[in-house]
Amino acid sequence: MKMETYFLSNEDILKFYDRIVKDYQLYVPVKTKTPIKIACDYGFSLPTDDYILKEYSAVNKEEIVFNEYRPIEPVRTFFNQYKEEVGEYFAQETIEKDKKEKPVAISGIKNCDIFSLKIQDFVFLGKDDDIVDPFYKKRRQDALIISGDCPGFKEACFCRAFDINPYCEQGFDFNLSVLNNGYLVDVNSKKANLIAGSIRDLLTPATLGQLSGRSAKRDAVIRKLDEHLSHHKIPKKEVLQEIVKAGHNSQIWHEQMRTCVECGGCIFMCDTCHCFLLSDEISGNNSKRLRVWDGCLLKNFTRVAGGGNALKMRYMRLRNRYIKKFDFFIDNIGFQACCGCGRCIDVCPGRIDIRNILRRLYDEKYLPAS
Amino acid sequence: MMKNIYQPVEAVIENIIQETSAIKTFTLKPKTDFSFVTGQFIELTVPGLGEAPFTPSSDPGIKERMDVTIMKTGAVTSKLHEMQKGQVVGIRGPFGKGYPLHKFKGKDLLIVGGGVGLAPLRSLLFSLFSTIDNYNKVLLRYGSRTANDIVYKGSIGEWAKRDKFDIVTSVDIGDPSWQGNVGLVTTILKDMPIDLNNASAIVCGPPIMMKFVTLKLLDLGFKPKDIYLSMEKSMSCGLGKCGHCRLGKFYICKDGPVFTYEELKDIHDIWD
Ligand SMILES: Cc1cc2nc3c(=O)[nH]c(=O)nc-3n(C[C@H](O)[C@H](O)[C@H](O)COP(=O)(O)OP(=O)(O)OC[C@H]3O[C@@H](n4cnc5c(N)ncnc54)[C@H](O)[C@@H]3O)c2cc1C
Ligand code: SF4
Ligand code: SF4
Ligand code: SF4
Ligand code: FES
Repeated sequence: MKMETYFLSNEDILKFYDRIVKDYQLYVPVKTKTPIKIACDYGFSLPTDDYILKEYSAVNKEEIVFNEYRPIEPVRTFFNQYKEEVGEYFAQETIEKDKKEKPVAISGIKNCDIFSLKIQDFVFLGKDDDIVDPFYKKRRQDALIISGDCPGFKEACFCRAFDINPYCEQGFDFNLSVLNNGYLVDVNSKKANLIAGSIRDLLTPATLGQLSGRSAKRDAVIRKLDEHLSHHKIPKKEVLQEIVKAGHNSQIWHEQMRTCVECGGCIFMCDTCHCFLLSDEISGNNSKRLRVWDGCLLKNFTRVAGGGNALKMRYMRLRNRYIKKFDFFIDNIGFQACCGCGRCIDVCPGRIDIRNILRRLYDEKYLPAS
Repeated sequence: MMKNIYQPVEAVIENIIQETSAIKTFTLKPKTDFSFVTGQFIELTVPGLGEAPFTPSSDPGIKERMDVTIMKTGAVTSKLHEMQKGQVVGIRGPFGKGYPLHKFKGKDLLIVGGGVGLAPLRSLLFSLFSTIDNYNKVLLRYGSRTANDIVYKGSIGEWAKRDKFDIVTSVDIGDPSWQGNVGLVTTILKDMPIDLNNASAIVCGPPIMMKFVTLKLLDLGFKPKDIYLSMEKSMSCGLGKCGHCRLGKFYICKDGPVFTYEELKDIHDIWD
């Protein structure tokens, strides 16, 4: 399907949302103040507020904003919830549960999130029903993705370091780009087309002027983001696997883990992490199985009977996360399992910064101390 | 709704054999027929408590029932050891790739087991019995801690009488009743009637045993591609999703659990 682009005026954005709510459970971005404020240490003035996605019916319409960058929560929370029932077994009588949920529509996700969905899809989907997570698949295929360009970025954002742009060109149903008096709306799927068809009165075909205005805005964000990233000196995606391999015995892992309090924030807020544990409990006469997020920064992740633990030391756990993202995934899907969203940087109480670790690994491999 | 990959299938415990003080073999009868190939594993559910991975130890040719031989070590296995005939457990699977029997054709096979590691190897032996014409000879070298820790005690003698089979057992710690070899299993890996240029070795046991056996086999002249190891790691899903069992670029549950040493030798810390 060829992507069509329309103009939607500022006054009509709520009408657009109102239309979507007819068929979907819609989540929209709302601004929130958080205590986490990572200042920019070389003088750029960057926004520090945050955004969360709230259910449309639960927010005052004035609160709804167009978020400048990705929300706090990783997009995977919509498809693979933190703790979710995935099975109930051996009941005497089968309990038919009405588990019908309206499909979700998510407005406010960014290109880093779209990139991370490639990793989540690789893990939870598959060609064959014997390996597909049916809960993820159902939500994912029914969902409506309304992504948006990033007119700004946070200190922690580093998508461009891995050649991921701060705007979306694929992987969404609708994409919104802000112009001065409204939005450009890209319509990129059958689902989206159907909705667009029913609100044709709100949409006018984008003019060449509007399209080139958008390109200019996009280029300006890229220039600023690239300048920001030039201060961080993050290695290119082409060398990630090599430097993580070369740095296997580096002191960096030990040094960095000194401030880790093992809270699990980095793995749980990560857009591209996917690990979980199946955990059973009794529920009445029945048993149920939960799929609960888990991850390698937690001490018992690889513990086995008898007390063995392949990741017994803290430095091994940190290193494991990098091996997984930059070695395992590059071998298995051809690209890194990190989208540069910077959520792990924002959340870490120990100020452990993935950009810093990658840069140090690079320096150790390529700029040996004389 | 699609198939639910996390849902266990009901299986009744039909029989329980006490193999050693800490090891029991459970015969399970699943609600529907269940097939696996030797070396694949299952996730076994104790209702309401949780799952753990085990390798069936019975003949893969039998679809109506299956044996699993289980050592008591923690939460799930302790509860299993308390269970009685007639009680219900759950199974999921089979998972992983199992032994590549077609690659063993025409070869001398050296099978090395340690402790409860003989469980998966028993299912391999059953598979070999029915296709024995395909192989030159089969050597089994099995070690356990003491004579009381030997599993399938009754069967080992019978297996040894079979045509083309050559079996030696050893215990780490001897006692007056024990006539056989005393010493780690590596001490019975010598003077073996085997053609190294046409042999495959299959090893299953605790990680530390696999490590020393592998080193010994390399020392004897086995090539890394001819050494097959059953790897063990923490597991949960069995499907390459939960992330627990990563080893290098592999997930043990999906890409293994059987690997050649050739595939693993460049990976860090494989025995941990
Ligand atoms: C592929 C494979 C095949 C196995 N086959 C056998 C077998 O045939 N017979 C046998 O006695 N043992 C086997 N094991 C080891 C067996 O899985 C563990 O003894 C068992 O998981 C211990 O569970 P627990 O709940 O009693 O222990 P706890 O220490 O209480 O463990 C709690 C949970 O941790 C995880 N866990 C702990 N130890 C292991 C482990 N070694 N491997 C994977 N997950 C673990 C499990 O999810 C378990 O439910 C096998 C392991 C693997 C990976
Ligand atoms: S990392 Fe890039 S795409 Fe993601 S929010 Fe920041 S600027 Fe946007
Ligand atoms: S590792 Fe950090 S920057 Fe990369 S995807 Fe995860 S949270 Fe985002
Ligand atoms: S967020 Fe920081 S402190 Fe928390 S587990 Fe991750 S590295 Fe450790
Ligand atoms: S057990 Fe879940 S990935 Fe292997």
